[in-house]
Amino acid sequence: MTEAAPSELARDAEWQRLDPRMLLVHPIREVLRYLPVIVVVVLGSTAAGGEQWQLIGVGIPVGLGLLRYLTTSFRISAGRIELRRGLLNRHVLSTPVDRVRTVDLTSSPIHRLLGLTKVRIGTGTASTSDEDRIDLDGLPLDRARALRVELLQTSTADDLAAPEQAEVDVVTFDPAWLWLAPLTGSGVVIAAAALGALSQLLQTTGFFESFDTQRVHAPGASPAVLVPLLVLAVLVVISLLSIGGYAVTNWGFRLTRSRAAKTWHLTRGLLTTRETTLDDDRLAGVTLSEPLGLRLARGARLSAIVTGLSKSQQGSSMLVPPAPRRVVERVARDVLDTPAPVDVDLLPHGPRATRRRWTRALLPALVVALGCVGAVVLDAPSWLLVGVLAVPVATLLAADRSRSLGHALVVGHLVSRSGCLVRRRRVIEVEHVIGWNLRATWFQRRAGLTTLVATTAGGSQAVPVLDVPEDEAVRVAHEALPDLLAQFTR
Amino acid sequence: MDATPTLREPSQRVSPRARQMWRLEALVQGAFPTIGLVVLAGPVDAFDLPWWVWVLWALVLAAYVAIVPSWRYLVHRWEVTDTAVYTQTGWWVRERRIAPMSRIQTVDHVEGAVSRLFGLATVTVTTASAAGALGISGLDKEVARRLVDDLTVKADAVEGDAT
Repeated sequence: MTEAAPSELARDAEWQRLDPRMLLVHPIREVLRYLPVIVVVVLGSTAAGGEQWQLIGVGIPVGLGLLRYLTTSFRISAGRIELRRGLLNRHVLSTPVDRVRTVDLTSSPIHRLLGLTKVRIGTGTASTSDEDRIDLDGLPLDRARALRVELLQTSTADDLAAPEQAEVDVVTFDPAWLWLAPLTGSGVVIAAAALGALSQLLQTTGFFESFDTQRVHAPGASPAVLVPLLVLAVLVVISLLSIGGYAVTNWGFRLTRSRAAKTWHLTRGLLTTRETTLDDDRLAGVTLSEPLGLRLARGARLSAIVTGLSKSQQGSSMLVPPAPRRVVERVARDVLDTPAPVDVDLLPHGPRATRRRWTRALLPALVVALGCVGAVVLDAPSWLLVGVLAVPVATLLAADRSRSLGHALVVGHLVSRSGCLVRRRRVIEVEHVIGWNLRATWFQRRAGLTTLVATTAGGSQAVPVLDVPEDEAVRVAHEALPDLLAQFTR
Repeated sequence: MDATPTLREPSQRVSPRARQMWRLEALVQGAFPTIGLVVLAGPVDAFDLPWWVWVLWALVLAAYVAIVPSWRYLVHRWEVTDTAVYTQTGWWVRERRIAPMSRIQTVDHVEGAVSRLFGLATVTVTTASAAGALGISGLDKEVARRLVDDLTVKADAVEGDAT
């Protein structure tokens, strides 16, 4: 959409308030937040028979909203974004435009009804305080989009690329992905939270005290039938909850690329929609993660390692939610602009690294198993024998962990893979590596192994290559950044 | 391609006085749990410990104070060239860190309360990565100051925003 009106940045050069429609959003939100208080106030006043109290109960949130609207203003001028807010504590936040890494647009259902959106400008600050975030809460959607385009253009390319963007769809949501939701960690977390809340509710209502297993008489059903049924029911509930959670966050997911503006653009969300734009130059690499459940179903998810975006801002770095592996791999190839890092066969780390995986998994498991057996011999309840299962589990873990280990250095990308419960293939462009850490415990040194860590300014700040033979670690680091290591080798 | 290169140790050692500093720090570190134990077993009377636990505790502490600082001194090394900083720290876990001069964000010079007693200082070089800070502790104060000046000049000479 190209407007004849002066550019968005020019329009924002003067101090100005956010959209007046926020006057509607704030009170509604404050009312929701203070709902319990308001209910109490209203009930109390009807009991007392007073009318004016109710007015105050509703008036405070509205007043707060109005105050926030009146005291918040922003401008973008002289290459700086400035955000001013607060009545008693004046707070002015200011940042150079060329530090802008990402621009997120988030619209809650209330925002969407009014055609508004919240603009979050990501600068890669290490501060996690809400106070230091640049949130322009409440701009009309089209203005926000225009602002985003211009902010990112100023921060990356100096050439004024044609704003009519040839956006290419890279991947779009497929409802079939929903089946993968119960297999992800987040699905389990959502379900666990729900179950926790439920059990707390039962506890407070005294369900457990009054519950008596003897009194449960389902006609024609023994515990042998009831227990599996109950487990099945819980599993179904967990699955439905996680599918619901997945749908709410990822419905309508769409990743597009604009080659002209050199950006990646991501939209998702069922109720609250979220638009994220990533700057291609700051895209240092990708992480392809496969939690165990997802891996068994041939699924994976993809996130970006974005320079200046730390792990705490994970929401901004997601590229593909849990989806079939081949889709995720295709996107990874597109994002990296080369298929090699995704497809290349990784170099294994050799027998010593494998042995280390086995000892590290088996020793604790053996201790647990022997302890349990010993306890049972010494007259402990026999169900403790379950502890013996630690050994086969550890065996599987060790075997899979050693198989996962691998690394490669191809077409200017460092690739490393490790893990079992969550297997991760991390790919980082060598030019985004800003240092090397070689870490080795005494045991590792004895085995001639070392953990090579490529540090970077994005994602989890480091790409570790676990337990690689020492000379291989040096070779990789040397080949990746030859000028750096040559002076320290012999 | 020459035969596989091996990484050598950084060339500079830290000040020998660092051993005494680390020893004092180890003593202080050991003192806190010891005081806690004594108070709990004595005046508070929370539990009774057999004599051999005390002996074992004393042995572990003595070994920690006697051996670890010297071990640390053997490991701790550093080197600064025109294009890079290279450090080696730790004792049980040995960590070598290399950062190019062009990626240095800040250079930090700290004289802690304990290190002041020994005329020592710590220089910390940070990069844009939270995982990449290079710390050299136990440097002679004068050496540290010169190092900071040197690093500031060298890091300044490189263009870019270091990310």
